[in-house]
Amino acid sequence: MPQRRIAIWILAVPLVIAGLGLIFQGLAGAYPALYFTWGFFFEAMIGGLLQGVMYSLVALGFVLIFKASGIFNFAQGSLVLFAALTMVGFIEFGLHWILAAAITVAIMIAVAIAIERVVLRPMVNQAPIILFMATIGIFYFLDGFGQLIWGSDIKILNIGIPTDPQFFLEGVFEGGILINSFDMVAAAVGAVLVAVLAVFFHKTRIGRALRAVADDHQAALSVGIPLKTIWAIVWSVAGIVALVAGIMWGGKLGVQFSLALIAFKALPVLILGGFTSIPGAIVGGLIIGAGEQVAEVFLGPIIGGAIQDWFAYMLAMVFLLFRPQGLFGEKIIERV
Amino acid sequence: MLVTQATLDTFPKLLLEHARLRGGKPAMREKDYGIWLSWTWAEAAENIRALACGLAAMGVTRDDRIAIIGDNRPQLYWSMTAAQALGAVPVPLYQDSVAAEMAFVLDHAEVRFAVAEDQEQVDKLLEIRDRCPKLEQIVYDDARGMRHYTQNFLQSYASVQDKGRAFDKENPGFYEAEIAKGKGSDVSIFCYTSGTTGNPKGVVLTFDNILITARNAAEFEELNEGEDMLAYLPMAWVGDHIFSYAQSYTTGFCVSCPESGATVMQDLRELGPTYFFAPPRIFENILTTVMIRMEDASALKRRMFHYFMSVARRVGIAMLEKRPVGPLDRLLYWLGDILVYGPLKNTLGFSRVRLAYTAGEAIGPDIFDFFRAIGVNLKQLYGSTEASVFITIQPDGEIRADTVGRPAPQVELRIDDSGEVYFNGPGVFQEYYKNAEATRETKTEDGWVKTGDAGFIDDEGHLRIIDRAKDVGKLNDGSLFAPKFIENKLKFFPNVREAVAFGHERDHVTAFINIDLQAMGSWAERNNVSYGSYQELAANPQVYEIIKGHVEQVNRDLSQESRLSGSQIHRFLILHKELDADDGEITRTRKVRRNIVIERYAPLVEALYSGQNSCYIETELTFEDGRKGVLKADIRIEDAETYSAQSPQAQAAE
Amino acid sequence: MEGTASEAQTVGPASASGAAARVSSEVLLSVENISLAFGGVKAISDVSFDIRKGEIRAIIGPNGAGKTSMLNVINGFYHPQQGVITYKGETRKQMRPHRAAKQGIARTFQNVALFRGMTTLDNIMTGRLLKMRSNILLQALYWGPNQREEIEHREFCERIIDFLEIQSIRKTQVGRLPYGLQKRVELARALAMEPELLLLDEPMAGMNVEEKEDMCRFVLDVNDEFGTTIALIEHDMGVVMDISDRVVVLDHGAKLADGTPDEIRNNQEVIDAYLGVAH
Repeated sequence: MPQRRIAIWILAVPLVIAGLGLIFQGLAGAYPALYFTWGFFFEAMIGGLLQGVMYSLVALGFVLIFKASGIFNFAQGSLVLFAALTMVGFIEFGLHWILAAAITVAIMIAVAIAIERVVLRPMVNQAPIILFMATIGIFYFLDGFGQLIWGSDIKILNIGIPTDPQFFLEGVFEGGILINSFDMVAAAVGAVLVAVLAVFFHKTRIGRALRAVADDHQAALSVGIPLKTIWAIVWSVAGIVALVAGIMWGGKLGVQFSLALIAFKALPVLILGGFTSIPGAIVGGLIIGAGEQVAEVFLGPIIGGAIQDWFAYMLAMVFLLFRPQGLFGEKIIERV
Repeated sequence: MLVTQATLDTFPKLLLEHARLRGGKPAMREKDYGIWLSWTWAEAAENIRALACGLAAMGVTRDDRIAIIGDNRPQLYWSMTAAQALGAVPVPLYQDSVAAEMAFVLDHAEVRFAVAEDQEQVDKLLEIRDRCPKLEQIVYDDARGMRHYTQNFLQSYASVQDKGRAFDKENPGFYEAEIAKGKGSDVSIFCYTSGTTGNPKGVVLTFDNILITARNAAEFEELNEGEDMLAYLPMAWVGDHIFSYAQSYTTGFCVSCPESGATVMQDLRELGPTYFFAPPRIFENILTTVMIRMEDASALKRRMFHYFMSVARRVGIAMLEKRPVGPLDRLLYWLGDILVYGPLKNTLGFSRVRLAYTAGEAIGPDIFDFFRAIGVNLKQLYGSTEASVFITIQPDGEIRADTVGRPAPQVELRIDDSGEVYFNGPGVFQEYYKNAEATRETKTEDGWVKTGDAGFIDDEGHLRIIDRAKDVGKLNDGSLFAPKFIENKLKFFPNVREAVAFGHERDHVTAFINIDLQAMGSWAERNNVSYGSYQELAANPQVYEIIKGHVEQVNRDLSQESRLSGSQIHRFLILHKELDADDGEITRTRKVRRNIVIERYAPLVEALYSGQNSCYIETELTFEDGRKGVLKADIRIEDAETYSAQSPQAQAAE
Repeated sequence: MEGTASEAQTVGPASASGAAARVSSEVLLSVENISLAFGGVKAISDVSFDIRKGEIRAIIGPNGAGKTSMLNVINGFYHPQQGVITYKGETRKQMRPHRAAKQGIARTFQNVALFRGMTTLDNIMTGRLLKMRSNILLQALYWGPNQREEIEHREFCERIIDFLEIQSIRKTQVGRLPYGLQKRVELARALAMEPELLLLDEPMAGMNVEEKEDMCRFVLDVNDEFGTTIALIEHDMGVVMDISDRVVVLDHGAKLADGTPDEIRNNQEVIDAYLGVAH
């Protein structure tokens, strides 16, 4: 019953946030080192949620490929980097950013088709682990290829998104809540992207074909699902999602090699949300983003900082223990 | 609202009345191609009219017998009414009976016409057609697989209805006139009883028998037209005839037919009936399934389930019977209803059940209490085909697992010197068709009917049944031996599917046991016991240990009751195959045919009394398609502890 | 308890008498001089036979005879090095799975290839994907008419569910079903494609007597009711001789014999191949 589940989430989220706030308020009473006001708490929470949207953007790419082919695409991070590098490259040629983005989309589709042709097609019916290894190859190739063409300097990607922080709710909380406008734009873009993807996969039959392909290649072929077309489509979509993530992350951190590594931040998101669920990727991202931000701000002073570096992985490990299929993932039950 | 006018004394008359009063309300539903379809009373009436006229056009006249064969389908229920409209008598047959069994009934009842559900039933009829010269025409409903059946005595249901519509136009007033000729004292139906021995007997029931009995019970239970009933038990069984046919006509409620035999549990859940009947074994299966599923659930869910079930066991029945319960318990039960009982009832399809009956044999007290504790108003009744079902019913507020209730309205009871129960009332059957001898044996001149059951009326005025009267035997030391009582005690363990006890004119009691493959199989899976077949699992020493524990528990219980302590089980064995209706070992309604079992397994019975530790046996078995095979096995025989009547200390067996 | 389905008799007049009317002389598919090798290993060498419209055609042979390879050639999983395939009058060097499916060739697999994570109904619905009018890209653009189309396809699948008597497992994840039922679901999915040619790879392998009889009945009914041409690989000789119109025998990748069940039964070479007698 998905509706019931959604209702539970909607009811549970504010309760959890309020509960966390109360816990920290209590902690602040016990540890004088800890500074707590509700305004500060909400600021950290919202900042974290917005950061979480950014994680989700990357995780989405993984989910798409995993749904379609049952493989964990190690190369998603390098797709993000490659897309961002390409776009910056064209902007540096003096093109308007919209034009640059359009060209990059075309290039990402070409890359997707090439991957399907050169790497995936010869590997139909191979074990997932082999396909996974292939994606590692793709990772290194794209990583090197991108830097070969566009150079390895850190580049600035600016497409005119305002980056100045803004104050909200000054009447409610003392000093108001400070929110970065760039993060808000990113969140809005993320929301639009998810909506488009949801329509694409749930309101069209591609969703069913996708699941079929992921489940059994041979059977999918036998009912006439064009495996190659589906893969090309999915990798193209994943490439476009990578571009969006690249624009956002590149705009925030600058376009550089480390962009490829944010893929590792997506891993705990996937474990939380489930590898096969688009809403899972979103919720997982939000939980991790908000969780690590709040933990950093309020637990940091108590147990010593740098929580942000390991919090997500800890949370993922706890999930692996209790709910290995993730919050929204499908529990695969095999009959032996 | 009950239709009680004396003029509405037949089903066809009631049908016309319902079509007039509540023509737009649903009369029947059926799930087909995954969708629930429904027919209003008006539509049902039109369908029946067309069919009746079609049958008349085919030559059906008053007093003809029409066989009705198939799963529960609206079209087959309508065939009954259509036959009755013409003054013909419907003879429903068990849909899973083999061709030879059908041949006897068709021949005995002198059936001229048959309405069959599908190819499977038509094939059986074609097979025995030579042996039933009186059978003239066959009408089939589902044409699938029958494209090459060109025989001219085969007609489709739809084509008969088409002919009927034409006939109706040509003969205006015919249909109404035929219905008006019917009266309450006319024969309404032949119900063939499966019988534990010999050929089936055709119980002749009139409209008065059935309608008065059905109406009395409906009034007693305050049934109304809003009830929902799922018709899934064989149409040939008198219970289905009363619950999903007669009572629907007397009160106007809607009856739903499941998609297929295999989907009953899912259809039950989707439909959520308010009025439900099931024999004890179905409640038992449901409980077993629930318990197995809980074993597989997460620890948290399991703990929650067990906690709230203990609450339910403590106060659930009191809550159901509206007796006073403490506020804390009330709160806990309310919580349990939200967290456990409600969702559970919902998955089982019992959310809306106002009244659930069980009958046919004794129900395990644990099973009975489980359903009552979670708020399902489950009651027992005692009935028989010869009584048009109702002999006794448990009134609300007086419900116990070990009695079958008070006499139904207008029914009288009498217990004779040997302990056998007799009844008299409006539902008493007319006769066994063409079997005056059997009629004389069962029914006295003044209408009292022998039930064949031994029982007594307890201090509260409730009837308690111990066993079949003829099965109550004596051990060599003269003490009472009630096999059914012992067998039921064994069968109350979920691991035991069937049991047969021996002891009449013997020194002590012994038993055959059939393990329950679902329950024991799940146990085997949990304990990593591998097995390839029923036979292999049945012979497993660990399984023997478990069953031995159950047998000894029964012995302890028996030792508590002075009259029965002599009936403790000294030795037992686990049979290598399930007792099977195809082999004639049990009836279609799953009653053990004791004599046949004794005959087929004579070496095993002797071995039980000879002190051997094992016994070799070859058993012939029949597959569903009628072919035969031989099953060979070496069967272990196990001794069980017995207990002295006074103290619970064990004494060595033999 | 050893039994074969060879004694399985279909009651009623459907089985034998209809054959003449059922099978036309028109050839639906023919393979000519097919040779297939993997590396240096020859799987099929120079095999030719045809399948007539409306018939039940059995392909038999000992293990490793190249039967499954032959099916894989027919529906395009394998591409033969030599020979041609003529399907519905069109001659090609090789088939492609997507094209085969589009032109009405459906199949089942020896080891059951189902979408294990999906329900029975969803599995069967995938068989309709090719029948859906709007193509897979256009579907992304409008979904109003799709909704109606979806309902039509659901109705079609429900008829198949009814036909194969699997109503009770409609919503069950197929990974949880016992083997015999999985085979039935696989057949259902193939039928959902409304195939003209149905390839069955050991449809009765690993089944008990009762399941085999059911499967036999379904195969005959499919052939009879829908007029579907069926090519099947089967090891149970009783079944093969009972239900097929013509039999082709393969051994070590080569064709050994071709003919009616009676002819095959009496063919000395076939008997030897099965008994392993060297002449």
